[in-house]
Parts: sequence; structure tokens; C-alpha cells
Amino acid sequence: MKKKIWKYLSLLRVGVLEEMQFRLGAAVRLFGNIIYLIIIYFLWKAIFDSSPTEVVNGMTFTDTMIYLVLASALFSTMEMYVTWQMGRSVQSGNIVMDLLRPMGYTTYNLFVFSGNTLVSVFVNLIPTMIIVYLITSGGFALSWNLLFFMAAVFMGTILNFFINFFVGIICFYTESIWGINIMKEVVVMLLSGASIPLAFFPETLQRIVYYLPFQAIYNTPLTLLIDNHLSTTERLSMLGIQLFWLVIVGAVSQVFLRVSMKRITVNGG
Amino acid sequence: MEPIITLKNVSKEFKVLNRHEGLKGSVKDLFSRDYKIIKAVNDISMEIMPGEICGYLGPNGAGKSTTIKMMTGVLEPTAGEIIVNGRVPYKNRTENAQNIGVVFGQRSQLWWSLPLIESFKLLKDIYQIEDKQYKDMMELYESLVDIKSLYSKPVRQMSLGQRTLSDILAAFLHNPGVVFLDEPTIGLDVSMKSKIRDLIKALNHEKNTTVILTTHDMGDVDALCKRIVIIDKGVMLYDNSIENLKSFFGAYRTMRLRFTKDASELTEEALKKQAEELSANLLQKYPQVKSLSVSVDEDWIDVLLNEDEIPLMKVMHHIQETKRIYDVQLKEISTESVIKKIYDKDIK
Amino acid sequence: MNQTLKKRGLRFYASIYFKIIAQDFKSKMSYRADFIISTLGMIMTNISGFIAFYIMFQNFETINGWNYYEMLFLYGFSLIALTPMQCLFDNNWNLRYKVYEGDFIKYCFRPINIFFYFISEVFDVKGLGQLLMGSLTLAYAWNKLSLPFTVGTAVLLVLALITGSLFMIAIMNLAAATCFWIINSGYVMVTMFKFTEYAKYPVTIYQGIFRVLFTFVIPIAFVAYYPSYIFLRSGVPILTCMSPLFGIFFFWVSYKVWMLGASKYAGTGN
Repeated sequence: MKKKIWKYLSLLRVGVLEEMQFRLGAAVRLFGNIIYLIIIYFLWKAIFDSSPTEVVNGMTFTDTMIYLVLASALFSTMEMYVTWQMGRSVQSGNIVMDLLRPMGYTTYNLFVFSGNTLVSVFVNLIPTMIIVYLITSGGFALSWNLLFFMAAVFMGTILNFFINFFVGIICFYTESIWGINIMKEVVVMLLSGASIPLAFFPETLQRIVYYLPFQAIYNTPLTLLIDNHLSTTERLSMLGIQLFWLVIVGAVSQVFLRVSMKRITVNGG
Repeated sequence: MEPIITLKNVSKEFKVLNRHEGLKGSVKDLFSRDYKIIKAVNDISMEIMPGEICGYLGPNGAGKSTTIKMMTGVLEPTAGEIIVNGRVPYKNRTENAQNIGVVFGQRSQLWWSLPLIESFKLLKDIYQIEDKQYKDMMELYESLVDIKSLYSKPVRQMSLGQRTLSDILAAFLHNPGVVFLDEPTIGLDVSMKSKIRDLIKALNHEKNTTVILTTHDMGDVDALCKRIVIIDKGVMLYDNSIENLKSFFGAYRTMRLRFTKDASELTEEALKKQAEELSANLLQKYPQVKSLSVSVDEDWIDVLLNEDEIPLMKVMHHIQETKRIYDVQLKEISTESVIKKIYDKDIK
Repeated sequence: MNQTLKKRGLRFYASIYFKIIAQDFKSKMSYRADFIISTLGMIMTNISGFIAFYIMFQNFETINGWNYYEMLFLYGFSLIALTPMQCLFDNNWNLRYKVYEGDFIKYCFRPINIFFYFISEVFDVKGLGQLLMGSLTLAYAWNKLSLPFTVGTAVLLVLALITGSLFMIAIMNLAAATCFWIINSGYVMVTMFKFTEYAKYPVTIYQGIFRVLFTFVIPIAFVAYYPSYIFLRSGVPILTCMSPLFGIFFFWVSYKVWMLGASKYAGTGN
């Protein structure tokens, strides 16, 4: 049993090391993120400046910025290239090598990619949170909400992985990795509230979005962090919904994998 | 006759950044001016006549591809002079490219998604080949290999052998004066290798094209090259005919031995162990004989020696006294061992 | 044996280009599923862009003095200006793989321009969907703003669109060329491409140094804002007048940098 845990921990380590390899890449990404945030800042500032009221949809300019900055940090922290990787390895035939490993295909990918995310939490998410906290002089509370936030980020990461993984399996059937990937990205980006806060969505669209799994990736952790008016029951029920989606998407992707694996073994990749 | 390729005291140096370790080091590297100079090619001179097939050999990292890049006009030498087809290649890359052909082992230069014949037609336009010349060439190709069946096949769907074949044909299509082949038979099976060699030979013969061939496969050298040039660490070690090289080692003989009845049943390790034992034994018995060496080749144990130093029969006799020999063969020294001896600096 | 080189002029390059494109198009069509899925993906990208745009304007009437239809104009304009880069220069996205894996060397051996040879390999058909959406949007906004449509404005529009495209292409050329110098340059391309999505907003929303940044350093202001200013406002700024010249110059610079990288590659590659 102990050995088994080590196996997975060393996979996690590989993911961490891999991510550390690209220091210059990280610098470029950081620079890019800063400029991106500057764009976002000016854009929303111009928008709020043009608005007759200071509060729009219950959010002030500061609220919106806190939400968007943290959303973008969370987004780049959780960004996984699972779909790309799977598509490429199907195309190159390396998928056979992946399947030869003495552990489940899902588990293997989950641990390697979580390793990447773990690094990002420390070099990206936490610094961003500290900066936001200092600049807004307490834009979010430092209390139990952090614990809920952490739990939600943890589950959000895995949920995000399963959604990516599910889409990755589609690549077993088609060579169109780019097409599949871009569709996923567009849908997730918009419907998860990563680019525009869900509060700004028209009401019908908002209702639809809350019935989809995507908002559970970024919106749930962010709401748990920022919104002070939530009761503990509300918070727990939000985590519950997240867990529900996690289980559903995870299970569906496993079934899908099992069905699709036959295709690989029959066609030889 | 004028040489088609002339290299006169050619050198190429690269400036390489001294990299530092760790996070601090990589930040330092961004601003560092700490370069070291690497001499990839050091004072090489040679002349190659039209119609020659010249093997250009050397271990990995010897400077072969740097030399080839300079001859093709992609790189400019740091010092020295290069003339190919009467031109200085790097001064006008495109003009030089018109008169050379290049094949890089596993990297196809054809358009990946196009059917082969469309790639050929495009090359016809790019190299501005006359209709008649193109037609003649295609007829020649069709007479040499079964290429027609590949015309409608996109390159990405071809096997490695078919792709190499197509790449070689594409390189000769505009009837260039010189063709550079970089490991053309790498990764191919035996029959495909010989097919490729026959094709190169035939095209060289038919069009009197000069061929510069780099390879690690001595089968290629034996089948194609009369002359070889060997470099290592940027320095030229040898430039002459293969015959001449072999005559250097005229007194060398290879004795191939088997100590087991059914040698194919032996594992590689067991065979290696036998060879090591034999090597130790011989070293003890003849410590003064420098040329003696033992190696494993497939399921034989090879003993290489120089008969000027020690008679072969004497060694065999000694071995027979300690071990039972089931099978024996005597051979001239192979090209492979000769080249290896040169790489290992046994001779200059 | 030595063929003399005939002159390789514009006509030579054009004829080669169309031959390659025609073949590439044929082979793309043989991957029908991929073609359909990619096109769908492209359409979805655009639709989601419109949805995001629509959601924003649900909540706000104007942005920085630009009303809904004017913003739509800029949006459509930037989509069209993006198209040539998308369709013709798409192979830039593959550059870094070819450089790392050593395949780039093959482009150095042909008697034609390396940049041309590389770029000509891919024609991305799905970019045409973007052209269609951009054109419809622009036409709709043009109509709603009741702008005059004459031969004069049509010529100006074409000129302005070419200018915007040149900037767009040049930005991505430069971003792609970084792979000759740094590892993992994928981030640079992705980041730059992300920036260009914001080309549809007026540069006046940025203050001080950042306006300079987005005008002259990462010139997304020239993709849509400056070239289309002439249609939306009276009193043409000097930067609008100069933008075609800037565009040509910037493209030329990006080409030179790309070629410099290519010649550097030949020295160290492999």
C-alpha cells in the first residue's frame, strides 16, 4: 500500500519538475498575464466610467476587478493541456506506450497534470491573491472562507481535468485536435464565468449556466472566497454541487474511456 | 578536369554561451557575455571531381553536418574558401540551391500532404525545369524503380522506404551537379537498403552526378564509395580511396570463432563474457602485441590482429590449447573495423 | 549541367503559390471531418465572442463615448483584418515545432525565399468563416450608422483593411520568430494572439504610458482603431494618415527579424 502511494507521489513530482523546467516560459507567461490584466483593468474602467451608476448588477468596479483578476489567475493556474496531449499521443501512436504503464490511464494523467497545477498554485495563484489583498486593502476576508476556497479549488482542478479528459477522448475518434480543443476552450471560457462575471449575464442565460458543470470550476471557488454574505449551509451546498458534478463528469468520462479503449485496441491506435 | 567542389583551409567557429546552473544562473545568462569558441570544422581542404561518389564519414558531432551546411550555402565559413559548381555557395544561397540536391535521412523535404506527382510538378516549377528534361527524367526514373504506383500517394502515407526513395528522386529531379545525401539508408530494412544503393549508383552513373554521402552504415560505403573522407572533432583524419585505406591494414586479419556448438542459442551476455575471457587470456599471453583485439559480431567472436606482429596460426594454436573451437572463419579486415581503428586514433 | 538561373520575379512566386495552395486545398478536403470540426470550432469562437460582446452591452450603453454600433463596426473590422493572417500565415503556428525538431533545415535548401517557402505551405480555409462573419458585422454596423457608401469610401475601406492586416500579420510574425531565440516560445504566440483579440476596443481607453505601449510597442491600436477612425469620426488624426506606411514598415521589420532568426537557426540547429 505504501509503495503504491509512492508511485503516485513520484508521478506528481515529475509533473512538478516538468513545470519548473520552463522558467523562462514562466517569466513570459507572467509578463503576458500582467499586460493582460492591464488591458482588462482599462477596459472595465472605461466601461464603468461610461455607466451612469456606480454599481452594476450588484458589483462595483473594485468587485469586478477582484473577481476578474482572481478568475484569470485561477484560470491560468488550472490550465491543463490534457486534451492536446491526448490528441497528439493518439496521432503519433504514443498512446500505446501510455497504455502500457502499470497504472490506469486516467490516474496517470491526473497526477502528472495535477503536478503542473500544484506548482502554479504557489508561483501564480497565491502571489496574485496576496497582491490583490494588499492593493484592495482587504478585498476578501481572511477567515473560514479560505478553507472553503481551498477545498473548492481542489475539486475544481479535478473537475477541470475530467472535462478536459472527456474532450481528449473524443480525439480517439477524429484527427481534428485543434477543432475539438478550440470548441472546448470557447465553451468553458464563456460559460464558466472566467472572462465575464456571471452576474452580468442576462437572467435566462444565468439560469442555464448554473445548471451546467462549467461554473463549478472557477465561479464556485471565487464566490466562496469573495462573497461574505453566504451562510455556512449555502457554502456547503455549493461544495456539494461541485462534488456532484465532479462525480458525474468523472464517471461519464470513465465510461466513455472504457468504450473508446476498445477502438484503440481494435484499430491499433 | 576541374574539381566540382573545392574546399581550401575551411574552418567554422561557433560562439556558444557558457551556461550557468540554477535559477540565478539562468537570469545571469540573459545578460551574460561569457562566450566560448567551439571549432566545429578546423582547416579542412579537399577537392572532389565531377561524377565521384565520396563517403564523408565521422562519429556523431564530428563536424560533418556543419561542412555539408557550408557546402550547401546555408552556413558561411569563418575562414577559408569554398567553391561548388564554380560558385561561392553562401554568397548566393538561391543560385547555389539551383544546382544542388539534398536529402536528409529521416526528414522528408517533400510536401507532406501532396501526392508525390504533385510534389514533383511543384519542384519542376520551382527549379524551372524544361518540359523535355522533366519528361526524360521521369522516364529514367520509371525505368529504374517502380515509382508509378507511388505517384498518387501522399507522402505522409508512405512507408519510410518509399519516402526515402521519393526524396532521393526529388533531389535528382533538376539534374543538379552535386547531390548531398545525409544517412539515406537510416532505419531501412536490408532489401530496401540495397534498393536505395542501387538507385543512387544508377543515377550517379546515368547523369554523372557528384554525390557526397554521409553515413554510419559501412554497407553504404562498401556498395557506393571509392573514396572516403573521414573527420573527427572538426579535423580531417583521412582522405583517400578505400582500397588505399585497406592496404594500410593489408596484414590485418579477422579470425571469427565459435566456442559453442549452437551459437545462436547463446545470449548476448554469455557471448560477451566469452569474448572478455578470451581477451583477458590473450592479453596475458601476448602483452606486447598492440594490434590484438577481441569483439563480438552477431553470433561470432572476432579476433583482429596484424600478421606482421604475430602470426595468426600461432594465436589460433594458443586458443585451441585452452578452449575447444567449434567453428572458425578467416576474413580480411572489414571496412567497419578499419573506420573504427581510425576513429580510435590507432592510425593517422 | 549548370543551369543558369532565370529571374524569379513576383509572377514566379505568385504562380508557385497558387499551385501549392490549390494542392493544399485539395488535400484538406480529403480530411472532411477535420475540416468540418475546425470550421465549427471557428464559428463557435466567433459566436461566443459575439455573445460576450452582447452581454457587455446589455449592461452598458456606451464605452468611452463609442456607442454600440460603432463598437460593432470596430469588431467587424478587426475580424476582417485578422483573416489574412489566419488564412495565409497560419504556418507560423507550426514554426516552433519545426525549429525544435530540426525539420526547419529543409527550407534552406530550395532556390526560393525561405519565408515564402515556409508560409506558402499552409492555407487555412477556416479563416474564411471569420471573413464572412466580419463582413456581415461590418455591413450591418455600416448600415445602422448610415455611413455613405461610395467608390471613394470603398477604396478607403480596402486600404484601411490592408493596413490593419499588415499589423496583425507583423505582430504574429514577430511572435513566431521568437522561437529562433527562446525555448518554449509557444507562450509568446499565445499571449500575443490573446492581445490582438482586444484590438477591437478603442485605444483611448488606455491611459498614459499604456496607450503608447499599445500604439507603438504592441501596436494593436493599428489593427482596427486607427485605420477605421476615418469612417467613424471627423477630423482624421495623423496616425491614421500614416498607418498604411507604418503598416508596410512594420511588416518589413517583422520579415527581416524572421529571416534573421532563420539564418541564425542554420548556424546552430541540429
